[in-house]
Parts: sequence; C-alpha cells; structure tokens
Amino acid sequence: MGHATHPFDLKHVLHELRHYLPSQTPLKDFIHHNTLHAFQEMPFYEAIFTASSIFGYQVTFNVHEYRRLHQIGRIRDEILDRVIRERHGEREVKIWKERALSKPYKHEYEPRVGRLREAWKNLYRIDLDNLVQPLFFRILGSYLDQGIALWHFPFVDQGLLSAVRELEKEGLTGGFFRSGRVRALLFDEANCTIPHLLHLLVGDPALYEQYLFDQQFGHRGWSGMVATIEEKPDSVLYPKKISLEEAIVLELLLELDALDQEFGETQWKPLVETSRFEPLNLFAKVERTELQEVLMIWQDAFEWSYYDDVLAGLQHLRSIEPEQEQEDVPDKTFQAIFCLDEREGSLRRHLELTDTHCETLGCPGFFGVEFYFHHAGGKFYEKLCPLQVTPHHLIKETKGNHKREHEHFHSKHTHRVFGGFFSSLSLGLWSAVKLTLNLFRPRMSPAISNAFAHMQLDGELIIENTDPGQMENGLQIGYTVPEMTDRVENLLRGIGMVSNFADIVYVLGHGSSSANNPHHGAYDCGACSGRPGSVNARVFAFMANHAGVRTLLDSRGLHIPATTQFLGGLHDTAADEIAFFDEKTLAPANAEAHKRNRGIFEEALDLNAKERSRRFVSINTKQDIRKIREAIRRRSVSYFEPRPELGHGTNALCFVGHRSLTKGLFLDRRAFLNSYDYRTDPDGKLLLGVMRPLPPVCGGINLEYYFSRMDNQKLGAGPKLSHHVVGLIGVANSSDGDLRPGLPLQMIEVHDPIRLLILVEHDPEVVLRTIKMEPALYDWFDKGWVHLAAINPATNEFHVFKNGAFRPYKPSKEGIALAENIHDLLESAAEMETNHIVHATQENLPVHILSERQDARV
Amino acid sequence: MTELLQYLVLIPLAGFVAGLLLPPKRETAIYWSAIATVGLNSLLFVGIFVLWAKSGFADQHADGPVLYSTNTANFSINFFFDRNSAVYFFVTSVLAFLVLTFSRYYIHREKGFKRFFNNLVFFYTGLCFILFAGNLETLFVGWEIISITSFFLIAYYRERYLPVKNALKVVSFYRVADVFLLLGIWMCHHYFERNIQFAEIREMYRNGLPIITEIGYQWAIPSMFLVVALVKSAQLPFSAWLPRAMEGPTTSSAIFYGSLAVHIGIFLLLRTEPLWADNTGFRVLFGTIGLLTTLVATFTARVQSNIKTQIAYSSIAQIGIIFIEVALGLNLLALVHFAGNAFLRTYQLLVSPSVLNYLIHDQFFNFIPPQQNATNTFSDKLRLTAYTWSIREWNLDGFAYRYLWKPLKFMGNHLSFVNAWSTVWLYLPLFSVGMYYAYHREQVPVFLGKWLPIALALVGVFLILKAFVKRNEAWRAWLLIVTSQLFIALAIAFNEQFDFAQIYLYLSGILVSAALGYWCFWLLRRRSEATTLDRYHGHSYEYPRIAILFMIASLGLTGFPITPTFVGEDIILGHVHENQYALTMLIAFSLILDGLAVMRIYARLFLGPHTKGYHEVAYRSS
Repeated sequence: MGHATHPFDLKHVLHELRHYLPSQTPLKDFIHHNTLHAFQEMPFYEAIFTASSIFGYQVTFNVHEYRRLHQIGRIRDEILDRVIRERHGEREVKIWKERALSKPYKHEYEPRVGRLREAWKNLYRIDLDNLVQPLFFRILGSYLDQGIALWHFPFVDQGLLSAVRELEKEGLTGGFFRSGRVRALLFDEANCTIPHLLHLLVGDPALYEQYLFDQQFGHRGWSGMVATIEEKPDSVLYPKKISLEEAIVLELLLELDALDQEFGETQWKPLVETSRFEPLNLFAKVERTELQEVLMIWQDAFEWSYYDDVLAGLQHLRSIEPEQEQEDVPDKTFQAIFCLDEREGSLRRHLELTDTHCETLGCPGFFGVEFYFHHAGGKFYEKLCPLQVTPHHLIKETKGNHKREHEHFHSKHTHRVFGGFFSSLSLGLWSAVKLTLNLFRPRMSPAISNAFAHMQLDGELIIENTDPGQMENGLQIGYTVPEMTDRVENLLRGIGMVSNFADIVYVLGHGSSSANNPHHGAYDCGACSGRPGSVNARVFAFMANHAGVRTLLDSRGLHIPATTQFLGGLHDTAADEIAFFDEKTLAPANAEAHKRNRGIFEEALDLNAKERSRRFVSINTKQDIRKIREAIRRRSVSYFEPRPELGHGTNALCFVGHRSLTKGLFLDRRAFLNSYDYRTDPDGKLLLGVMRPLPPVCGGINLEYYFSRMDNQKLGAGPKLSHHVVGLIGVANSSDGDLRPGLPLQMIEVHDPIRLLILVEHDPEVVLRTIKMEPALYDWFDKGWVHLAAINPATNEFHVFKNGAFRPYKPSKEGIALAENIHDLLESAAEMETNHIVHATQENLPVHILSERQDARV
Repeated sequence: MTELLQYLVLIPLAGFVAGLLLPPKRETAIYWSAIATVGLNSLLFVGIFVLWAKSGFADQHADGPVLYSTNTANFSINFFFDRNSAVYFFVTSVLAFLVLTFSRYYIHREKGFKRFFNNLVFFYTGLCFILFAGNLETLFVGWEIISITSFFLIAYYRERYLPVKNALKVVSFYRVADVFLLLGIWMCHHYFERNIQFAEIREMYRNGLPIITEIGYQWAIPSMFLVVALVKSAQLPFSAWLPRAMEGPTTSSAIFYGSLAVHIGIFLLLRTEPLWADNTGFRVLFGTIGLLTTLVATFTARVQSNIKTQIAYSSIAQIGIIFIEVALGLNLLALVHFAGNAFLRTYQLLVSPSVLNYLIHDQFFNFIPPQQNATNTFSDKLRLTAYTWSIREWNLDGFAYRYLWKPLKFMGNHLSFVNAWSTVWLYLPLFSVGMYYAYHREQVPVFLGKWLPIALALVGVFLILKAFVKRNEAWRAWLLIVTSQLFIALAIAFNEQFDFAQIYLYLSGILVSAALGYWCFWLLRRRSEATTLDRYHGHSYEYPRIAILFMIASLGLTGFPITPTFVGEDIILGHVHENQYALTMLIAFSLILDGLAVMRIYARLFLGPHTKGYHEVAYRSS
C-alpha cells in the first residue's frame, strides 16, 4: 500500500480500487459479508478508524449516543469500569471514565478522499459531478441493464468502450460526446488510456492515484458494481463485457467533454497548472486520537454489557439444573434439524415448549450438500451453497408443470404508445380496484417473491448418480452413493447426531416471502447463496433415507435405525408457514406420527408469530393468537409493508454446542445456534469443520448489519422507501443517483451494532488448538472482528479469547429474570418510540430463564 | 347546493390545520386525521354530486369571500363545479384515500412521518382549490400550494444532496409556470377589465357569444395558460423534471408525479377551454406539442434502465396523447384516459420495487440473448441515433441549466456594481428618495415619468440577479432580495396614481418576512453556525424550528397565497398597463427570480448534507 512516491502504476491502482470498492453483487444474489472486508487485515478498531479517516464513514456511535445508552442503563456502569481497567489499568480508571462520561469532544468530518477533485469546484467553479455523473450512470445502467429497458444497449458483446465507439461512429448525429477533441481521442486508441487522459485533466502523475480514488469513490456504488461484474461475469444472467478500466476511461472522457463544453476546447488547463497540489497519501497511517480511545471504550462496554447478561444467564441455567446438560431428550417424538439462523432459534424454542419430547438441532442451512440447481424449464443454474464453496454437482428438477402466471402491470406493453393507451383505458381502471384489494386483502401474486415457489412441490429431482459419466456443462449430475454417504456422515457427526434417532427427523430449510422488496435475497438463507434452502433440505433427506447410504454408514459405524425416516421441509420466516416435501414416502406409522407432529409445528408457528409480532406496531400482540398468525402471513404478501420481517436484525451471538447449553434461555432471537457435541468429539477433530464457516457466514452477516446500522448513508442503502430499481442489478435513490449497496434502513433499525460473540462448548485448550490450525480463521478472532469465548464443560467456567489466549471470565450480572409464562413475557415488551438507537435498544427483551413448568398452550 | 361548494376546500384546510397540531410521534392520530379529512370531503362530494345530478348536471357557480376589493380590482375566492371537477375530484379522492392508507404502513417510523402526511393533506387541499376554483385567482392559490408541497415532498430526504437539488430544479420550473399563470391572469384582467369567472365564460361559450375578439389576445391569453399546462404536465420542452421529482418515498412519487400533479395541466386547459375553443390554430399548436412529446417520451421510456424513470416517461407519453385528444375536442375520452393513466401509473410506481424479483424470475425461464445490432442500413443508423438521443434524454435535462440557470448566473456574476454594501449606501437611500417623490409626483419631470418605472424595475432585477448568485453570507443575499422588492414596489408607485394602501399591503408582507428572516440568521449565528451560501448546511437536522420559521419568512417574501405579499402582488400587476411590455416582463422576471433566490437560500441553509462528524453524512451522489 505504499503510495505517493511511486510513479503511476495503473495496474496497481486498479487493483487497489477493486480492493476497496464495495463488492456487493447484483441484487438477485444477496450474500452478506463484512462491509469493510478491505480493511480486514488490520485489527478491528484500527481498521474501522482508518476506513473512517480515509472515506469518511461513521463507524461507531457518537459520544452523546453512548452516554445516553449509559444513562438508560443499556451500558452498565460496572462493565464500563471493567473495560477501562482492562484497557488503561486501574490507575487511570478515573481519568478515562471522566473523559468517557463528560469531556466535550468535537466530531470532525474530514475524509481524505475527495479533496483533490474538489479543486474543480473551488478553482474552476465548475460542478463536474453534476455535469458528468447523470449521463455516466445512465450509460452504465443501460449497458448493464438486465431487462428493464425495451431497447437494449447495442454492441454489449464488444465491451463498453467499443460499444460507445460504435455508437459514436454509426449514429447520424454522433454519440455521447460533443467536443471534437474528445471524439478524436475516443478513436485514438493509443492515447485513449487512463494515464494520457489523466495527463490532460490533472497533469502530474504523482496525483493520478488520488484523483482516481476521489473520482471512483464519488460513486462507489456504480464503480463497485462494475468491478464486481468484471470479476464475476456470471453474477448477471444477461452477460455483459465490462471492466473497471473501461468505465474509468469513459468517465474521464466525459469529464474532458464537459470541461471542453464549459470552457471551450483547450481553453482550460489541467489542475496542476492552476494551483499547487501536495500529493496526499490516502492510506497513510491514522494516528489514534483520544476521542477514538473513548469510543473504543464505549463500544466495548456496549458489547460486553450484553454479553455479560448472556453469560450470566448461561451460568444461572447451569446452576439451577445441573443434571440437565448431560441428559438427552427421553422418548423422542421427533427430531428437527434447522438452519443455525438466529431467526429459527425462536421456532425451535417454541417447538420444544410445545412438545417437550422433541429435539431440535442446528447447522448451516445448506445441510452440507453443495450443488448447482437446475429448475425444470430454467435457462440457468442456481448455486445453492455458501459463496466460498465451488460445487461440482448438479441437481436437476424434472417434470412438474411450471406454469408461470403473469403480472400485467409489469408488462412492457404499458410503456409503448398504443400499448400504454389501451393499458390506461383497460388496466388503468382495474388497477384502482386491484390496489384496493391489495390494501385490504393482500394475497400472493406472481410479482411477489414466494419462498415456496423456489422449488416445485410436485416436481421431481435427480439426486442420485448411477453413472459418473453423466455430466452437464462440466458438472456431475447427482451424487454417487459414496459421495452421498460422505455428506450425510459429515453433517450428522458434526452436529453430534450419532445415536438415539427419533422415528422422524425433519430437515428444515428456510426462505422468506416478501412483496415489493428488491432486497428479498438478503432475507433468504445465506448458506444457500441468498436463496431458500428447500432444495438442499429435500436433497439431504433423500440421501439420508437412501438404502445404499444407510448400509455404507453402518459400515462406518454410524447406525441409523431402519424405522427412522428423514423428511425435508421449508420454513417461511416471513409468513411463518411450513411446507414438507415427499410426505408420501413416509411409512404408515411415521405418517400417522407426522400428522400429529404437524399439529405441534402449527402450534409452535403460532407462538413464533406472536413472538415476532411484538416488534411490529401494526399487529397487536395481545390479540387472539390465530389472528396474529394471519396478520403475520398477510404482512409477507403486502406491497405496502417495507418490513415483511426484520431479517437478521439484533443478531449478536453464536453458540456452538449441545442444545442443552441454551435450552430454557430466552435470547430474543439473537443467537445463531450450531449443534455440536463435545462428547462425541473429545479431541476436537470435527470442531474445525464446524467452526470454519461461522466467521465468514455469521460474522459476515453481523458485520454487514453493524456497518449498515452505524452509517446507513454511506455503508447502508438508506431508507428503502425511495429506492428506484436500476437495471435489475441494484437500487438507487434517484434517477441521477449512485447505486446503493448495503442494507436499507428498514432492515437495520432494530439492530444493536455489536460484534458477534461465538461461544464454543469445549475445553478452551481444544478450541485454541483448533482455531490456530487455519490462519484465516484465527485472524477473525485475533484481530477482533468476531469475539470468541469457550465454556469448559468440565468446570462450567467461561474463558474469553483475547490477545492470543483464553482468559477466565466471571459474569458480573446478578439476578437473571425468570419468565413464568412466555405469553406474558412477549406481551410485556416495550415498543420503540423512534428508531434512534437509544429507543431501539429499549425494545429488546433481556435474557430470561424460561420456567419449565409453564404450559405454553395456555 | 352552491353554498356547499366552499366546504370542499374548507374541510381539507381545516384537516390540514388539525394535522399540524398533532404531535409528530402520534402516527395513528396523524393518519386518521388525514383519512377523516379526505373521507369527509368525499362524502360531501357524493352529496353534492347527487344534487348536481338532480339539477341535470348543470354547471354550478358560488361566490365566496372577497379578500380585497376596489373599484378596479376584485380579489375573491369563488367556486365552480362541472364535469371536469367531478372526474378529477373522483380520481383525486380515490387515489388520496388509497395512497394515504398505503403510506400509513409504508412511512411508519420515518422521521418525517408527520411532515409527509401534512404535505399530502396540504397537496390535497391545493388540488381542491384548483378543481373547484370559480376564477383564476382562486385557482392560482391552489397552484401555489401544489408548488410548495412538491418542493417539500421531493426534498423529503433533506439530508441528501440530490433530493434537495432536484427539488430546487423542479420548483424552478414550477415557478416559471406560476408566473406565466400570473401573467395570464393579468392579461385577462386587462382584456376583460375585471376578474372573470369560469362560469360566465362557459356560459358565453355555450351561447355562442364571442369571448375574445382581438386576434392578438386570442393567441396571447391561451398561450400563457398553455405554457403553464406544458410545464405542469411535463410536456416538451419541460419533460425532464418529472423523473427527477421521484426523490421522495414511492407513495408520494406515485400520487404526485405518477398521477395527480402531472395531469393538472390538462385540467387547466379544459378549464380555460372557452378562451381558445374557436382558435383552431391554437388547437393544432398544442396537439402538435402533445404528439412530439409522445414520440420523444416513448423513445426515452424505451431505453430507461431505471424503473421509476421509465414509468415517468411512459406517463408523459400518455399525457401527450391526452393533449391530442383535447386538441381534437375529445374531452370525454381525455377525461377517461386521464383517470386510467393516473390509476395505472400510480399502481405501477407503488409496486415498482417488485419488478426486480418478477423480471429476474422471468429472465430465468425465458431469457433469449438479444440479437446484436447491425449498422448496415440507414434505418439501423437511425435506430442507433435515436438510441443515443434517448439515453441523453434528448438533452432536455440540460435545457433548464443552459437556458435558465447558466445565463442567470452569468448575468448575476457580471453585475459587479451590485453588492450588499452598495445596497446599504446607495440603493436604500435611493429608495427613500424615490418614496419621497412617489408622494410628491408633481415634482417629477414629465419626461422621466415614462422611463422611471422601467428604470426602477431594472434596478430591482439587477439586485435580485445578484442575490441569485451570492455565495457568501446569506444575510447579504436576503438584503438584496428585500431591496429588490422595494424597488419593484417603487416602480409601480411611479407607474400610476393609485392608493398607497395597496403598496403598504405589499410592503408590509415584505418587511415582516424580511425581519423574520433576519431573526433566523441571528438565531443561527448566535449558535455559531455557518450561514454562507457556497454549500449546503443542512441545519434543519439540528434546528427544525428555525427551519420552519425561515420557511414562513420565505413564503412571505415570495408572495405565497394568503400572505399580504401575494394579494399585493396580484393587485400590483393590475396596475401595469397592457401595453407596458417591458415593465411587465421585468416584473415577471423579478417574481420568478425572487422565488428561486429565496428557495435557494432556504435550501442552502437548512437542507442537504451537513459537515458535522457526529452523525452520518450522505454521499453527494445519493
């Protein structure tokens, strides 16, 4: 990253730009990731403050907000003291506490990026951004457009610049440029390069890099999108040949054109001839300020005030029911494997309350089966596994009559002259009726993203491969028996499910239905690349039921009783509905049991709906539970509802351990729950495989929420109410605006931006050994992007990972609240006054111990 | 039934005031007060409709309160009800009801929830004024209300740059339209020598009586209204403002720019139909503009990759067709087409975010790579040319910049002899001298009499041009604006012998607003906040109350309806004679600029991104 002194190295600068630009893919796939991934090689605080100094991001709350959180008790005083003590030693507690609590600080806003290019405005009195950006965005948008425009950008197979050249050459009145000089430059390929154009605009190679950063970060949304599509051409269905380099050339040409127009060709001089500019090293080390130290103290205190509650709750749980932990659930009625997603935590809790003999487990929602999926009649494959995994298998859907209905209001006819005329006269009057129906009787329609439509319920899948030669586009169709066995064994052993199988094991993926929601992918399963997990669940169930697989598993020492059947299903986390697949494969006895279990699921879903409803002002949590459920369902198909559900908002924890670790604890849907049994893995052989995906997946979700919440303007997408869908690849706020990557306000407003705490149930020695095996994994914890703690099952003591070692931790919170009745608890929750953080945190329910004796059914 | 008509504007007005009084966090109460307003008014409308049907659908006229009256000028709020009012009101009510209900959930928990609903109700009030106006003056009141609510709804996300910039852009178009409407009123006033009522010209037209007999006026008067209609309905060459108005929440974009506000130009044409009905050439003129607009807008819609922009241009294209229908005399079809287009585009905008999911899904199953373009034939080349032009929006967006802002800035920047100090030492004393002579006109040489008003008005225009480009302290620009208004008043005082009470009415509005504005500057400076005009400061984030105060001052200074300045403005124009083109132009010009300069100061000080580090700062490109 050394800069400034180097002569201009285009390749290097392009590489750096790509590194720092947002890497969000077109919205059809939404994969959560650390928004500041570019700074991840630094320790957390250093990274965020550096990013803040360079790009002007808001990366923490301001001091006043922390102070108010402290005043309302959300940040606990003893935790604040402890954090200061740990950071600055006992002697300085008084000084730093005073600084934190009352010293006045001024928050400055002076990002390094953008300073050079301001010269156009200050010295030349020309607003280059206003003159160039609208047209530049429009060209990029039209070029990358996937299907909004009726006329496609011509020559997209030739690359951006060639297409622009063709238009310039073939158009009867020229193309996008008006200055003759610029037009000549466009065709002069030897000089139509970034260095030469910068020479004309800026004049001094020492400033080029800074200029390009200023320029590209003036519209990081579009630049990031171009760089992403260049790197991952298959992230769009309609392939487009584009590169960041070409986009920059085009923008520089447009800038020259605008300057020529404004001042006359060659009547103006490059920047360096007008004034002296001192090259600024954007990436120079950022010195820590006292204010930053104070903010670090506050953020730590904010986080630990919550973690401490949770750890105290866990401790309390162990102290009141010491035997419970060892105990397996007796006489299991059924088992259900869910995604570890924190939204499933509450459903699992309600299932266990409704039927005390069922057992629930959690693992990443692709259930260890990675593949591309080919819809019957689809023209593309869909990847259904985590982003980092590259599948070699293909699952094909056959049969199933995919009859797609149409939404005439999205029809292109309405944008034609006569089509528009007749549509106005016919559809127009009908749309008033339709709008009324949508308002008062919302129901599913073809324009609504429907989680259950991801796979046809009556379709058939090709899952088994009998002939390894069966390939399609380099992918093997289906899995062979040994391949299936590997995957089933891996998953079951990983979650510690090796004995005491129930007769029915449900495998439940999740997805989310929502209307009017360009970010719908962000609500689906992250482990399935932002899609519903239905196919994965069904595929896994098929594999685990396969007779050949069972035989092979037996030989590997994993015995699943013949009576045990796996059944796939999908939980819609917005509508709170469940669908099961292949129910007819159940043996008669199991079918009978399944019928009963469905009733249990329905009851649990009612309770889950009620729990979720407490955060929705439009639903009265105290009304009849059936009505709540119906209101929740309607919400998922309502066009007017910008919050069909709240996604991963409030996520904060990730538990890796046996269910008994947290069972009976009310964590308010804030914990990812990954099943793992240290007893089946005493020396931690499986632990690495279990832990490896957690920081990128759960930590990625957590950090994206963190940064979108801290700076919803720059790192988030802003309120979604004003979003314009652009090119089917992204959203902008305005017809002339930049793309807005990140999460919209409506997703993050309930979120407490605290880092993820991963708690592993195992000997800290084993945990430490495990994470040290992979540097990439270790760095997440060592650099503080994700917190790590361990609970030693032998001693019941907590250990927190810090500075390369685990240190014992004693929770200081005393008196964990006890909830006698889940209904009362849910109905007791406060409603946020506004979505300001101080009010938003008041809505959270504290950690409770749920009383075992209660009757959830009331 | 005629006595009931006034309640169609009084109910919304009362609802608006009630909405202002509600606390911002009471979302339910705010929603119900808005719904009750629209509901009650619709019920009243149903009643009136029944009575109207009983009367055999005859046009209805009702006299309302007289705001100001002399022997020459009469400013009264009158009402009129006919088929056009009925259809427009029906669509307005249905959409207002639906969009308000939609917004209740959609806007939930927004910081500006109350602001949003107040603006929607005020907008509805403005529409009611327009739809039931019995004369041009009443209609103008509604017109201004729509302009100001537009500004606020476009700049709803006031902490970002583009909404504020585009709000200013749109409002400057609107301001031009408003002044043309004022000019139209002025011409009518001169031609008919009184304030005409819609009912009477309609009656004359029905009876086949000639309404405008002079050929010049046959073109001049309707042309004024045509410009207004073209601006408001985003027809050529003013089309580019419409997509840029879609900055606020989708619901407000839908009701404003998808449907109601953008069709109001048609209404104005229909309302003033008796003035041009017999002028075939005029029909050809605006029919042709409609046709051209349809072509250009359709092409532009075809290449848009932004869904809301695409809907905007599709809507513009249909409105172009409605212009043609009106030109052909197919008024009923035009009304049905209006209703259909309004509903369709509202719906399309409201569900526009779902287009991503729907079309991606569609693409997933039906995608066929489009054929690459050929370049061989002339028609290939024509197609490519149309493509590039459409991407560039036929340069329509640059239009305002090139022909309005840039020349104004150029002129303003070259007026070096005007500045705040010269105002204090030169222009204000000059004004005092002027006032003295205005009282003692017998002392003014006769040969000066003819030129003095023009010279004074010219000084006024210079002052305001300078205010328009000021980049330093806001109080200086404010001083220039106020002084400029004083000179305009003085110009009128010299133009004709008349009652000074009228000038005082005007000046009282100006001076009170000026003082209020200065108080706001003082409040900001006392809190050591910057008040320069070289950038946006976004003070409304921290000082929402000062922002409201300053807004009131701004409205007063720009002559917003119901303020004394406004009544004065109308009367003052009445004192400019029909053949005084130069003076008329100067005054009209100064009125346009006055509005723009004042809104600019408001926007720079109170809107846009700020530079304080303690909360997030929006990108300039957002």
